[in-house]
Amino acid sequence: MSSHTNNPPEADSDSINFYDPAVAAHPQPVFRRLRDRCPVGKPIPGGAVCLSRYEDVLFALRHPEIFSAVMPAGLIGNVRPLIPLNVDPPEQTKYRKFLDPLFSNKKMLAMEKGVREIASNIVDRFADDDGCEFNTAFAIPYPSTVFLQLMGLPADDLDHFLSLKNAIIRPDAEDPEEQAKIRNESGEKIYAYFNKYLDEIEKSPRDDLLSLFVTAEVGGERMNREEILDICYLFLLGGLDTVTSTLGCMVSYLAQHPDRRQALVDDPALIPSAIEEMLRWETPVIQVVRTVVQDYTIGGVELKKGDPVTLVLGSANTDDEQFPNADEVDFERMPNKHIAFGSGPHRCLGSHLSRLELRVALEEFHRRIPEYTIKPGETPVYSHAIREVTYLPLQFGKGQK
Amino acid sequence: MPGGGGKIEHDRDACVGHGRCYVLAPDVFDEDERGHGVLKLASVPAELQDQARAAAENCPEDAISFQPDDAT
Repeated sequence: MSSHTNNPPEADSDSINFYDPAVAAHPQPVFRRLRDRCPVGKPIPGGAVCLSRYEDVLFALRHPEIFSAVMPAGLIGNVRPLIPLNVDPPEQTKYRKFLDPLFSNKKMLAMEKGVREIASNIVDRFADDDGCEFNTAFAIPYPSTVFLQLMGLPADDLDHFLSLKNAIIRPDAEDPEEQAKIRNESGEKIYAYFNKYLDEIEKSPRDDLLSLFVTAEVGGERMNREEILDICYLFLLGGLDTVTSTLGCMVSYLAQHPDRRQALVDDPALIPSAIEEMLRWETPVIQVVRTVVQDYTIGGVELKKGDPVTLVLGSANTDDEQFPNADEVDFERMPNKHIAFGSGPHRCLGSHLSRLELRVALEEFHRRIPEYTIKPGETPVYSHAIREVTYLPLQFGKGQK
Repeated sequence: MPGGGGKIEHDRDACVGHGRCYVLAPDVFDEDERGHGVLKLASVPAELQDQARAAAENCPEDAISFQPDDAT
């Protein structure tokens, strides 16, 4: 295809369709084909334009005045835009100035002891077994329990939260209308749950995050109920899903690469840089979406105001132009400017919480279970878009047991 | 590695708080209340050159520049 095409080129084959569920387990070769053949274009004819080069994705993330994160409500069961994700600067800045300190690296590190206890208690449940289904046994309950504790919500509500979250992110239906219905119903329940809870803590604030939302001043005034709900809605989706997906991707990778797993067991000090490299290689949040708000030409392709654009973070993070030997997973890679947590003003608010949870989880899991493999004869199952390893059967020990 | 120090600069406007700098270069960068990086020193002594270089090379916002004194 010509490099001076005015309209976004469409792919000539479905082999660069990274939405294909079959691709979710190993998307990296598809990203490569996408960058080589169609770096700014439509991998699915008629779909959104995808940016897949590191340089282009980075530019878009850093320029919300061209690539806006403002989205119409209703796509994920929400009746209003999510805060702060669907709000751009300058308005977004007041929310981030309030929220950033609550999720700073220092604040998160102060929680390490409690987070470690949660991880250790969950590993206790299955450490003496022959194996486990990692997603159900650990990747789902661990970050969710941490989240509820951080928010000040009752641990007994965990299952309720998980069903609400799952209905939004992976509605159990094929038909788009049916999916929307499931999402909207779940969305109503989410608003209702938080409304009831916020009513209670407005009367008697406690020493937790939600109480702070009710009492704190943001940009010089208290937030109204809708603003608080719009933050809670986003937290529910972000806090419960992304770390689950990331843990699954990492443990699945380690289960399939015994030498790498052994390296972490032998030297746990390697875990932080290994996490950065697995964040780069696996990029569990494959993509984020933006809307073009002024006509703009990128990579020789003219984008029009109103065009939806998909920024393929997974592809950016495996681009050789930025990462020498990008296909090589090097736990000591230096430098490593991956953008698994995004870039620019919308940098993942929970990135410090995520890094803490991931490090503690890998430390605790490997301390108790240093040897494991994928259960013989079984295959991990990945979902696409946000790569949750929905089925990750592990066998503990050296192999034959 | 030559033994000199260098000059480091941090663009506070470009910083969004990834926190790579104060994790990789704890003797060169501090963390402010928002989790954004703050320079502890303007001039980097020789023994901190590696830290300063790591901070500059790993910042996802390209907000840090480091000029070693002995750069030729």
